[in-house]
Amino acid sequence: MLLPPSDSKIIARRAQIVAALQDMVPDGVVADRSGLATFDSDALSAYHQMPLVCVLPSNREQVSAILKFAEKEGVPIVPRGAGTSLSGGALPREDGILIGMGRMKRILEIDYENGCVVVEPGVTNLNITKAVEANGFYYAPDPSSQVACTIGGNVAENSGGLHCLKYGLTTNNLLGVTMVLPGGEIVTLGGKSGSQGGLDLLGLVTGSEGLLGVVVEVVVKILRKAPVTRTLLASFDSVPAAGACVAAIIADGVVPAAMEFMDKRAAGAIESYNHPGYPLEAEAILIIDADGVEADVSYAVSRVIDIVAKCGGKTVEATDEKQRARIWSGRKAAFAAMGKLAPDMICMDGTIPRHALPDVLEEMAKLSEQYGLGFCNVFHAGDGNLHPLIIFDTMKPGEFERAEAFGADILRLCVKVGGVLSGEHGIGIEKRDLMTDQFTTEDLAQQGRVKCAFDAQGLFNPGKVFPTLSACIEQGHIHVHGAQLPHPHLPRY
Amino acid sequence: MSKADTPSQVADFVRAARADKAPFEIVAGGTRRNVGRPLGNLPLLDVSGLSGILKYEPEELIITAAPATPLAEINAALAEKNQRLGFDPADWSKLLKSNGMATLAGAASCDASGSGKLRHGGARDSLLGFQAVNGLGESFRGGSKVVKNVTGFDLPKLMCGAYGTLSVLTEMTFRVYPKPQYTAILCLADVSPENGFAALRKIAHSALEPAGLAYLPASMMADVGQGAALIKLEGASQPLEEKIALAHGLLGGAMRRVEEDPFAAIGSGEKFADLPGDVWRIMVAPSDAPHVAKELNVKHWLGDWAGGMIWLAAAPTEAARIRKLAADVKGQAMLLRASPESRTLHGLYAAQPPALAALGHAVKLAFDPLSLFNPGRL
Repeated sequence: MLLPPSDSKIIARRAQIVAALQDMVPDGVVADRSGLATFDSDALSAYHQMPLVCVLPSNREQVSAILKFAEKEGVPIVPRGAGTSLSGGALPREDGILIGMGRMKRILEIDYENGCVVVEPGVTNLNITKAVEANGFYYAPDPSSQVACTIGGNVAENSGGLHCLKYGLTTNNLLGVTMVLPGGEIVTLGGKSGSQGGLDLLGLVTGSEGLLGVVVEVVVKILRKAPVTRTLLASFDSVPAAGACVAAIIADGVVPAAMEFMDKRAAGAIESYNHPGYPLEAEAILIIDADGVEADVSYAVSRVIDIVAKCGGKTVEATDEKQRARIWSGRKAAFAAMGKLAPDMICMDGTIPRHALPDVLEEMAKLSEQYGLGFCNVFHAGDGNLHPLIIFDTMKPGEFERAEAFGADILRLCVKVGGVLSGEHGIGIEKRDLMTDQFTTEDLAQQGRVKCAFDAQGLFNPGKVFPTLSACIEQGHIHVHGAQLPHPHLPRY
Repeated sequence: MSKADTPSQVADFVRAARADKAPFEIVAGGTRRNVGRPLGNLPLLDVSGLSGILKYEPEELIITAAPATPLAEINAALAEKNQRLGFDPADWSKLLKSNGMATLAGAASCDASGSGKLRHGGARDSLLGFQAVNGLGESFRGGSKVVKNVTGFDLPKLMCGAYGTLSVLTEMTFRVYPKPQYTAILCLADVSPENGFAALRKIAHSALEPAGLAYLPASMMADVGQGAALIKLEGASQPLEEKIALAHGLLGGAMRRVEEDPFAAIGSGEKFADLPGDVWRIMVAPSDAPHVAKELNVKHWLGDWAGGMIWLAAAPTEAARIRKLAADVKGQAMLLRASPESRTLHGLYAAQPPALAALGHAVKLAFDPLSLFNPGRL
C-alpha cells in the first residue's frame, strides 16, 4: 500500500513548523526522533511512518490554532486518538502534523437527567462506562479495544463492538460533537436535544476517519444496565448448521444482545490460550447473550435453546457471572490467541448478508488453499460482520504479501455477495484500494465532493479511505469507459 | 408536471433541468408539500411511479423499496412477518389536511419520526443505503444493503431530514426490527408537567426499553386532572406483567392501564389537526421540557419522547418568541404547519450560526451544485 508522495518542500520547512507549533502548544510538541517513534504506527502495525512532528493540544483553542496554521501553510494533518485503528487510519505522514488528542481526556459533565455524558475526545471508551456504572449506567458500543481506544477515535471510525446488533454503532449512541474544521473554525453539531436544525452533519462526520476535521467534544448517550443477562454457548457439528441457526434466531424475532460465531480452529486456539471452556469437538460454536428484564430474557433464552436444538446443535448455559465472564474472555482474546497458531496475524473485517455465510466460508477455504495460508473465523454473526483471521509468518519471504492479497480477496468476496468492505474497522489505508470494488466512479466522486465541502485543500488525512485524490477545484466527475478507470498509467495511492 | 417512473427517467429529467438551469420541486405522495419554505410555482417532478417493495428479507432484517412506496404498503408487508420499521414513521397528512398517500421517502426526507423514535432512533438510524440521482444527473449509491457498514462516508444519514434538497432518491434500504407481540399503555393521571416529565424520564432511563413516553396537559386529554404521563411498554413475551410491576415500583402512585393506544395520534400531530394556529415541534434536552412548557404559556401543547419533543399550537404572531425560547435552551423549533407567508418569513428552522450554515450549504452544493432540488425548502 502506498501513501501519496510526501512534499519535500514541507519537510524542508520542518524547523519552522515545529517552532510555530511550540508557540501554540508550548508543552505539547514532540519533535525528537525517539519521541516520534512512539507515534509511527497504529494497530495496523505492518505499516510505519515517522510523522513530521507530533502535537498534543490540551484544549480546543489550541486545536483551532493548529488547524488554522496548517491551512495557511498547506501542511497535512493526521488526527490520532489512542492509535488503536486496525485499518491504519492514524498512520502518520512524513510531511504531516500528527495531532494527538490524548491529553484532552476530561469528563466534562455527567447528566443523568438526560441520560448523557459530555466528554473530551481523549477519554477512553471504557472510562465513560466506569464514570457512570456505580449509578447503574453504561456506554453501549464496546469495541474489543475499549480499554485503550478513545471516544474521539470511536467517532472517527464509527466503532462497533460485540453488542451492536441490539444497541447500534457509535453513530446510534451519539447526541452531538463539537469539532474544529479545516482552517480552525469551531462548529457544534447536535447536542443534548439531539437536533441540528438542518442537514445531519453529525451523522456524516461520524465514521469519516479523520478526513473532515478534529472532534474536540462529544456528547454520548448512556443506558441503564439490563437487570438480567444470560449467556448461552451453542455447539454444532457443521458450519452451515450454525449459520442456519443464526438466521432462524433472527427470523424468529429474537434480538440477542450479542451473537458470536467461531469456527473449530479459532475455538481451539482460544481454548489453549485462556481456557474459557469451549467444546473442542464442535465444528462451530455460537456465544449468545440475551439481556433485558427477567421475562423477556427467559423468553429469548427458551426460544434460542429450542431453535438451536432444531438446527441440530447443543446448548450450555453459563451458570453464574464467573462462567459468563470466562466464556466472553475467550472471545475477547481471540486475536491474541492466534499467536498459538502462527507468529503473525491480520484481522480482516467485512460484512455479508447472513444467508451468504456457507458459500463465503467455502470460498474462503478455497482461497486459503490457493494462497497456502491458514485462517480462522470469528464473526459477529447477528449482524453478518466477518472477522477472518489470516495467520502467517513475516519471517518467511513473501508471506506478508500473500496474506494481504488473501485478505483483499476475502473482502472482494464480501462485496461480490452483496456485502461491504468494512463493518467496523474502517477503510484507512488497509482497504483503500478496494473501494473501487464496492463503489462506482460516480459513487466515489460524490463522496469526494463531500470531502471537498469540508477540506478544499485536501489536507486532512490524505491517502486514507479514497484511492485517488481528486482536485476539489474540478468539483466535476470522472468519466469511466467500460470498467476502465481514466489514466490507467497514473499511480493510484 | 413531468413524471419519472424509473431511475433512468429521473436522471434524464435532472440532466435536462441542469442544462436549462431550471430548479424543480420533487413530489410523490404530496402529503408534506406544505412543510418548509414554499417553493413558489416551480415545475414539478412527480416520482410517485417509483413505487413498490423491491426486496424484503426478514431474516436479514432489511427491506429495499422504491422511495414512493406508500408507508401503508410497507407497514402491511412487514406486519405479515411480525416486523416493523424502526423509526416509527409519522404520517402528517391528517395534521396537514392532505389527502395524498404518505410515502417512505417522504417520511425519511422530512425526518418524520413518531413516538416510537425512543426505541430504535430516527430515520437516520434505520436507513442503511440508497440509490439516488444527484444534481449532475448521475445515479450514485450511498451506504449498503447490510445492517452493519462503515465503508466510506455515511451518506444515508444526510438524506434523512434533507427535505429532498440533496438528490432525488430512487431506491432505499432500511433496517427493520421485530414487532413486539405485547403492548401496554400506562397512565399516571393528575400530575403537573414538572412531576409528569420527571416520571417519564425515570422510565426513559430504566431498563424497561419504553416505546412511548408522553405528557399531555388537561387541554389535550379528557379526565386526567391537570395532566397525564403516558407510558407505552412492549415485550416479546407474556402480557408484560413484569414490566408493569417494575414501572409501578419506579413511580409508585396509582397508574392505571389504558386500553386505547394514544401514541399514534400524538406522534403524527393528529391531536393538533383541528386546533387553530401554527403548529410547532420543539426539540429540547428532555429535562428542559417543564421549563419550556411553562414559558411557552400556550393552551395546546404536549411533550413526547420523555420531553425531548414539545408539540404546540400558537398564534402566528408568537413565532419569534417561540424561536427565542428554543434557542435559549439550545433546542430547535421547527415550524411544521403554518401559512405560506409564515413559512416564508420564519423558515423551517431558525437560522444556524454562520460557520455551520456555510458548511451545510457547501455540503448541499456538493450534491446539487446548481440548487435544482427543492431550492430553499430547508
